[in-house]
Amino acid sequence: MVGNRGEMVSVRGIYKRYKDLPVLVNLSFDIPKGSIFGYIGPNGSGKTTTIKIMTGLIRDFQGDVSIEGRSIRNWNTELSSTIGYLPQQTALQEWRTVDQTLSTFGRLSGLQGSEVENRIKEVTEELGITEYRQRKVSKLSGGTLQKVGMAQAMLHRPKLLVLDEPVAGLDPESRVLFKNLFRKLSRDGTTIFFSSHILSDIEDIADTIGILGHGRMRYIGSMEELRERVGRSTEVRLETVEPIPSDSLLAMIQGVSKVERVADNRFHIILQEHKEMDAVVDRTIKVVLAAGLHIRGIHPNRPSLESLYLSYTDEEGKV
Amino acid sequence: MSLWLLFKDELNGFYRSKVMLALWVGLPAMALLLYFLVDDIEGMPITVFTGLLVSSIGGLLTSVLIVVNILNEKERKVYDLFLIRPIRRENLLLAKFGAVFLCVMVASLIAITLAAVLDSANEGYNVQDILLSMKDSLLITLSIMAINCSAGVLIGVFAPNMLVGILLVLFGANQLSSLVLLPMITGWGEMWMAGLASLVISVALLFGAALVFRRKEI
Repeated sequence: MVGNRGEMVSVRGIYKRYKDLPVLVNLSFDIPKGSIFGYIGPNGSGKTTTIKIMTGLIRDFQGDVSIEGRSIRNWNTELSSTIGYLPQQTALQEWRTVDQTLSTFGRLSGLQGSEVENRIKEVTEELGITEYRQRKVSKLSGGTLQKVGMAQAMLHRPKLLVLDEPVAGLDPESRVLFKNLFRKLSRDGTTIFFSSHILSDIEDIADTIGILGHGRMRYIGSMEELRERVGRSTEVRLETVEPIPSDSLLAMIQGVSKVERVADNRFHIILQEHKEMDAVVDRTIKVVLAAGLHIRGIHPNRPSLESLYLSYTDEEGKV
Repeated sequence: MSLWLLFKDELNGFYRSKVMLALWVGLPAMALLLYFLVDDIEGMPITVFTGLLVSSIGGLLTSVLIVVNILNEKERKVYDLFLIRPIRRENLLLAKFGAVFLCVMVASLIAITLAAVLDSANEGYNVQDILLSMKDSLLITLSIMAINCSAGVLIGVFAPNMLVGILLVLFGANQLSSLVLLPMITGWGEMWMAGLASLVISVALLFGAALVFRRKEI
């Protein structure tokens, strides 16, 4: 048995091959209880395979996965009740209505009697799909279908939600709705594991990030740790009200290695070391004001996950 | 518990499907057409002839229906959301088999009963003869249907694509199901043997399907 007390999921030494092609190679990571784990990787990197192993849909693999300390090798009622799963493409039997779909999945997950109806009411309201409850699945739009998929995943109040690209194909409004829902569920103690290609979505809500490449975990840790590790936060963006006549005014500031002029009043100030960030910002403000100019804006250019992700590509080969 | 729930669900889906509607209406209509269009079927009661026709056409349609349904759901990954829940994998198949078989059973019963009513309108048949031929026809029809349904389930589980699935139905399931006609055609055995043979073959096919489905990564 693997897994510690504070971990909802513990993945240990997973190897998976499809014929001669290795898909996952010695994959190991933990997901703390109540956290949101964002799982990133390019197409074909093994994200969906990982998810299918975690949900017991793929059983032929080496290594072990435990959920709350119970190995998924011994798949049982208790384990499957712990998990809620949203696949990459929500596929439901098309002859059912939304209500029939949710009712069946709710009952199969162990909900009984009036609890089924109550939960359907709650989750459809939460996801804004109440008006579609009597509509046939085949008549739903892609976004609504995705919401029905999310509804069935959270219907039985699982402790762990495993979501494969949950916000792909959603409009911005629905994306915000999903992200807020994830935050709320996480606050209530639900552990969320989700994959995405939309890096900014992961950046917004994930406590822990895992970057998968060629079946191997390239990075696992928090966003801050990732920024530290990649160390690219070495740029300050400055915009003044009046034009600055000469770059040398900024270039002479201690800790600055290079100044890039974007416009007469807009500059990218490159630092010698990212640790100097606060000091350089302070010095820059003093120098500019001393020159009789006014500042419209100054801020460190914090790298997005996307640029960090690409940095990773530079650092460790194709991620 | 999950089997009963799945069975009710599948039944709810199948009995309103287009193919099943065609069987509900089509099979009894066939009995009527026979009565009005066929003058002489060499002394054979309409009940028996209807039974043979219904089992042949209905059986083929039923197995195609199941194969297409399972392959389609497999391809769309519909089963994923069922399989992560606390149910036995084979219950998905048994529920499907049970629902379709019940539907075609009722459709066949309606068609053969209608044929029996038409037979009773003909001179030369007494009630006892009609009831006997109705019993035999039902037995043969349901035996063939059971094999077609269970073969459809097995083919649906392991066929890699729709084309292979349909070919296997046409050249496998359909031929296999006609085996139960042998006792009647050759006069080699009793009619109940057809029922027994059908039961054994159907159970074996369903067992095979369950075994494959349990191990297969869907």
